Amino acid sequence: MAAASGAASGSRPGGFAFPDPTTALPWAVPLLLIAPFATFLLALSSVRTRRSASATAMFGTAVMLVVTLLVLWGLTRKAAPYVATYQYINLSVAFSGPSSFQTFTVQLVLHVDHLTVAALLAIELCAFIALGWHQFMGRAEPGAARFHAAVTALLFASSGILMSWDLAELFGFWMIGGALTYLLLAHRWGVAEPAARARVALALPFFTDVCLLSGIAWLYSRYGTQTLDTLVPVLHTNPGWTVRSLVVASVLLFVGVGGRIALWPFTSWITQTAVTAPAAASAIVQSVWSVAGIVVLYRLTPIFASSNQQTMQALLAACGVAAVIAAALALVGNEPRRAVSLAGAAVVAIAAAVVINAAYHPPATYAVAGVAAVFALAPARAGALLAVTTISNAMRTDDLAEMGDAWRRMRRSAAALLLCALLLGLTTTGALALGVSTRTWLGVALGEASLLVAIAALRVFFSVSFGPLRRRRAFEPDRVREPREALGWPYWFAVASAAFLAATFITAWLGFLDGAKHPAPALIGVAVWVAVPVLGFIACAATYSRGRDGALAATALGGAWLARGTALVSAGVERFVVAPATDIAGRLGDWIPAGDGALGRLATASGQLALGAVRAPALPLVMALAIVLAVVFALLAPGVAR
Amino acid sequence: MTLLTVIGQATPSPVPAPGAGLFTSPFLLSLLIWVPAAVAVALAFIPNPRGRYDTLIKQIAFFTNLGTLFVFFIGYSQFENFLPTMQYEEKVPWLPAIGVTYHLGIDGAGLVMLMLSGLAGVAAVLASLNVRERVRAYFALLLLAQSSVNGAIASRDMFMLVLFWGASIVPIALLVIGWGGPRRISAAWRLVGYWGFGTAALAVGALALYTAAGGTSFDMDHLFKATISPRVQLGISMAMIVAAATRLPLFPLHGWAREVLAESPPGVVVIVATAASRLGAFLILRTIIGAEPVAAHLLSPLLAALAVLTVGYAGLAALRTLDIRHAGAYLAMVPGGITVMGMAAVSPLGIAGSVLGLFAGGLAAALIAGACVTLSDRAQTRSMALLGGLAPRMPNLGWLLVIAALALLGVPILATFAVNVMTFFGAFKTQPLGAFALAASLAVCAVALAVILGRVLFGAPNADAPGVSDVSLGETWYLGLLAGALLWVGLFPGGPKIPGTEVPLFDPGLINQMSAGISDIASPYVLPTPAAPATQ
Repeated sequence: MAAASGAASGSRPGGFAFPDPTTALPWAVPLLLIAPFATFLLALSSVRTRRSASATAMFGTAVMLVVTLLVLWGLTRKAAPYVATYQYINLSVAFSGPSSFQTFTVQLVLHVDHLTVAALLAIELCAFIALGWHQFMGRAEPGAARFHAAVTALLFASSGILMSWDLAELFGFWMIGGALTYLLLAHRWGVAEPAARARVALALPFFTDVCLLSGIAWLYSRYGTQTLDTLVPVLHTNPGWTVRSLVVASVLLFVGVGGRIALWPFTSWITQTAVTAPAAASAIVQSVWSVAGIVVLYRLTPIFASSNQQTMQALLAACGVAAVIAAALALVGNEPRRAVSLAGAAVVAIAAAVVINAAYHPPATYAVAGVAAVFALAPARAGALLAVTTISNAMRTDDLAEMGDAWRRMRRSAAALLLCALLLGLTTTGALALGVSTRTWLGVALGEASLLVAIAALRVFFSVSFGPLRRRRAFEPDRVREPREALGWPYWFAVASAAFLAATFITAWLGFLDGAKHPAPALIGVAVWVAVPVLGFIACAATYSRGRDGALAATALGGAWLARGTALVSAGVERFVVAPATDIAGRLGDWIPAGDGALGRLATASGQLALGAVRAPALPLVMALAIVLAVVFALLAPGVAR
Repeated sequence: MTLLTVIGQATPSPVPAPGAGLFTSPFLLSLLIWVPAAVAVALAFIPNPRGRYDTLIKQIAFFTNLGTLFVFFIGYSQFENFLPTMQYEEKVPWLPAIGVTYHLGIDGAGLVMLMLSGLAGVAAVLASLNVRERVRAYFALLLLAQSSVNGAIASRDMFMLVLFWGASIVPIALLVIGWGGPRRISAAWRLVGYWGFGTAALAVGALALYTAAGGTSFDMDHLFKATISPRVQLGISMAMIVAAATRLPLFPLHGWAREVLAESPPGVVVIVATAASRLGAFLILRTIIGAEPVAAHLLSPLLAALAVLTVGYAGLAALRTLDIRHAGAYLAMVPGGITVMGMAAVSPLGIAGSVLGLFAGGLAAALIAGACVTLSDRAQTRSMALLGGLAPRMPNLGWLLVIAALALLGVPILATFAVNVMTFFGAFKTQPLGAFALAASLAVCAVALAVILGRVLFGAPNADAPGVSDVSLGETWYLGLLAGALLWVGLFPGGPKIPGTEVPLFDPGLINQMSAGISDIASPYVLPTPAAPATQ
């Protein structure tokens, strides 16, 4: 009896023990896809009011966030990534020839590593905070259920993109995300301008999406596989491989990703919709695509690196040029949301350059620093967009020259904008310190871009915060108030961004992301790269303190010239490309029926006869006769033929 | 253990579908052809004074289509996808003097086409529930059209194929004339003219093939196995391409498409845009890709060029037009171009993509053309200058139009995604320029769709436009059925399985079932393994 009692008490655990989180991975990882999809269905089908739609979407995002943290916890106990595979298409197409081409398989590979989880966290935080802001500031937006359903579906697509290891699967989620992006940016139904501006959000990225598809298809047609695990090791060993094929694939894949991360010249789909789309939609779209795009770019760099030096140099040059031009464009024009969007696009271009540069100068240990920089950028650009939207909504204008005095009238929003602008300027410093030498031409170009980004981000703050807020027609400056409900949300963006930014300087964080060891960056390098944006901030402050109106007049002039140039280019394209092409198609479309006109006139008589036949009561008789004749012919024909 | 048991265990056999062996009919294909025809005749004889039995006639037509679809679904479930041979074959001598047989049979591609035709039949009746005039004649002709299309799909005899191919023109032309829009006479004549020309080309090609194969039989099993010189193959294939281009349609023989798809009632649009026009691609697959590999290789650049021109032209024309029905008609040409590009790839994967494209492309074409026709009916105008901001006022139709647009572009979770992936993956090896040009043409279509959706659905409402109403139940069901089929195959291309197993629930998966015979068709196009890795 005593022994039994002792055995029973001995088997009892001494205290509370946490369950092993790795056992949760098999259900938690699929839940990362299921949760947003279920929320999407719920929001689309069962929710009617704005408040319930918002609560449903926020709840779904919160569930995703919790599940992501659970997965992160599980992965900390696991050295290898968690991989789950589900078969989507498995089709046998040939019984001979190269074995890799005999079966076509598309798998739903859920490949979750630390980088994936960190990227998901960045995206979910941005979406959650933006939804919180929209709950109060987007009360006037139509179609609440539709909006929240689209946001949760975009989260579903971004989860899919980040977890995809099969390139066909990746493209699938990529296209879903693209379609939802269009629906979000064209959200304001019934208004002409948003509909017109959203066209570019469907057409331009679709062109680059097609390039991505072409790149993946090109690789498949050479290697017979599209799963990264099996593709990358055979890039240089597969029978029949050529450098040319890798160059073509690299360029197509780069353009495909570049369109969605809005590398210049593919920026117009975010700049043109920045004002006409709901601000939360614009913020979420920009954050989601910058994070998802840079992670995909990072994963594709082994393919780029396997092409040749010239291709890598060209890709680096493209990123450098994109960064400088986007940052320079952010300096001209007086539309604050456009300026913030362009500054964000320039930062992504800098990060992309860091990623590719690391692959170009092996060992490629610092590529992940570029990705980490975009994690910091995503909340900062979303926060800046929402803060400046709050201010411009209160001041009822989108012209920086007409705005001002927000520091006095809307202190908290202005402070949030200041924080986000500073973070926007500083996000790439860690990545640049780790990954780019200041003595190279690339370093000079990215330094210049970094300087311009800092100026562009801070000039928005200075323009809206200081200077007079003048009375305009139907606008009374004294009625400008801080909307109380939306106060806290942009700060949370700033907090998230600051946390991610601080992490980019910690080599342990980078090691956690890519599983490699990273030596600490040289302090002098960090100092130099921090000094560049700080110099930009100082230059901006000095310029605006000397003459705010002069600076704004100059940027307005620049914006007018840019608009004129853009209009000229658009008119040229319209006149020399679009108009002739559509005209040829139209003339052909008219000519074919016109050519058939004679035929048609000849037919009119017979057509009328046929019409009469249809109307005639004898139709059943005619049909029966035809069938009887057919049967008789069929039965007798052999005899007749003999 | 008996010898039989040992053999049974050693022989690999696929997991049988649930219900296998439940239904075996040697007349399955004949049923699909002749039951609609018989019901059409019966309907034509039903007395219907002052339209008293209009509803009954509609019900008969609906349940006939539903019944044949159900019967075919059993056949589809029991289809042996590992067999390369024709299945459900029926072969009876008909005109032995000239070698004509009543020969029916289907492989994976035929199965896909019949499934498309069955779904289209049900959707067409649902789309036609609003027909009020001469209901008896309308539904009799609709069933006859479906019967002839099914006949053309199942025919394994060239003579019968030509007969059914030509026979499908008459009921469809009469439907357009009798129940079409203001330009119905012109539309019907164009249909008769183009399709008649195509039939003549098909007849010429068939007779040439018959002669080249010895002039003893029209049976495809005989014709396609005959040794024919490349020059003759080329000539026959050109005739077949002309016939196919008039049907699918392909640029520049697409002159009927705009008028017919714009002027026809929705039910006819569904029949024409789905199985009746996909017959063109099916013909290329059967008579060129599957029978004349030399000609297929030689003509693949021509096919690729036709595909690119068709898609590019459709996108540009849709961009320019201000008539929503015309835009829908032009855009309905896009899936056909993609299907033909799969064939032009002359690679196993491209061919598999084009077979799936017969189904998904047909549904996508019918969905976009049908949605545009229904939208113009409900909005009481065809002019996009007047249409605007309709999404809030007709949300159901708005969503269906968006799904149609996404289906055309091949967005995932829709069946067209799998088609596009397979087509592009298959085409980039053999037709890289064509594939990239097709991709660029698809981008033009995306622009056109963005403009149309932006203007019609999301733009500002027009105060001068006539009043609008959302779709009726029948219209929702017919468009929903097309969209639902695209979604189902997109979500479950391999069919839904019992969780944790490979056992199919009730649908064995279209992509599995269609694979029957594809390896055989594609065997001449398998590329050899490269000799040795390049050292670079």
